[in-house]
Amino acid sequence: MRIGLIAMSGVRVRNPELAALGVSLPQFVSRGKVIASLPSLGLLTVAGLTPPEHEVLYREFAELPPADQELERFDLVGISSFTAQIDEAYALADRYRAAGVPVVLGGLHVSLLPEEAARHADALVVNGAEGAWPRLLQDFQAGEMQPRYAGLRARVFEEPNYALPRFELLRGRPYNRLTVQTSRGCPLDCEFCAASLRITSSFQQKPVDKVVAEIRAALEVSAQPFFELADDNTFINKKWGKELLRALRPLGIRWFTETDISVADDEELLELLAASGCAQVLIGLESPDAGSLASLDPHNWKQRRCDDYLRAIERIQARGVSINGCFILGLDNHGPDIFEKVRDFVARSGLIEVQVTVLTPFPGTPLHARLKREGRLHEEPYWDRCTLFDVTYEPRHMSTAELEAGMRWLFSELYNEREFLQRKRRYMELVKERL
Amino acid sequence: MKSEEVERLVRALLGELSKRDVSALGRDEDLVERLGLDSLQGLSFLAAVEKRFQVRFPDERLTALRTVGALVEGIQSVRREPVS
Repeated sequence: MRIGLIAMSGVRVRNPELAALGVSLPQFVSRGKVIASLPSLGLLTVAGLTPPEHEVLYREFAELPPADQELERFDLVGISSFTAQIDEAYALADRYRAAGVPVVLGGLHVSLLPEEAARHADALVVNGAEGAWPRLLQDFQAGEMQPRYAGLRARVFEEPNYALPRFELLRGRPYNRLTVQTSRGCPLDCEFCAASLRITSSFQQKPVDKVVAEIRAALEVSAQPFFELADDNTFINKKWGKELLRALRPLGIRWFTETDISVADDEELLELLAASGCAQVLIGLESPDAGSLASLDPHNWKQRRCDDYLRAIERIQARGVSINGCFILGLDNHGPDIFEKVRDFVARSGLIEVQVTVLTPFPGTPLHARLKREGRLHEEPYWDRCTLFDVTYEPRHMSTAELEAGMRWLFSELYNEREFLQRKRRYMELVKERL
Repeated sequence: MKSEEVERLVRALLGELSKRDVSALGRDEDLVERLGLDSLQGLSFLAAVEKRFQVRFPDERLTALRTVGALVEGIQSVRREPVS
């Protein structure tokens, strides 16, 4: 059987004024572009879960023929998509189905809104593919494919559920960044988070030897890739984190991950981070003032850590590990003064990279449910505007127009050439101190 | 230090950082594209060059230092400029 796995890519800001800013300001939406240009680890995992008698072909949406040309023939097509490109994914699914090719849809959005997705698919895989995809293939071959397959929400890294992602499908493709997942879920459970914690029942960590095997497999495809750990929060468990870092060190790779500010608490972890080739950690600081962080997560963990942000940033970056500090604009306690507060904090912090996004009520999140209850969502569905830069709800302490204007002002302040060069210089000085 | 010697040292540093043989790399070839350096690696390399040659490139010139030739000229140029 010939199976086509199609990854969606290319998140685009919809607000025309913000899109125009993106052209003129260096670094603006650079992180979004990086994410959009990563291969789909989910589909590589699906390929790994596919029995070897089937031929699997990996395709990016951007390389498919235009609508007026014939599609490549497959016996079965699997499509995975982020929320922002889901409309394009549905249109592609409809196109394949019209051509007589059965379509399976999967991914986070599909898992959270299965009724919507079912209108465009012959079958859905919800949650992860582990525990679902092999059954689906068996049923498909027997002519008995069911409309929905629920993947496992736990024990996904245990045998026999686990499969090594098939990185060799990327051979000959121009990716210079590859992803490896070391954990799924995050116990912080922030209200806005639309990551893998929504499809897991508990925080799950991959055995370190499996992580190393995946990196070695990826290194056979690309000589010197930059690795992104596709985790929600890698260093929740410091003991396991140190074990992972010790195992990464001899691999000689450079890598990036997302974690939280608590990595600054552990000297040994910080030393191992730097020694293992960690170039950057992305940390969701979310807001520079503790008052804005109330109720963001069930235990107010981020609010309690906020007053320590500056010291923690300094401790991490002093080890030669840069931080991409992330801020969310439009939290419920944010008023029009938040834009200046973020700018001033960034200036004081010495953060080497900064990512500023707007609060986005992704479907399936507690934030979405709350704002819907409060009647504050703009007209649904707004999935194509879930870009992290388009405002899709009514802020509490300012108008939508104020939020949009403030965001443009802040982007101009943070992403201009002078700031960009200053951040570059800060990073170089950090590197020089450690040479 | 002569230009040839500066170039030899720049290439040695680049080879060390990228873990690749850079002897065939053209003087005007884009380092980031040719060697697949990420942005932080590019900056780490510039930092190593600054430290090795005891120079400091003006910040506004950093973006343009993307070839061996540009780096050699950049180092020579900074060394010629009086310290302010």
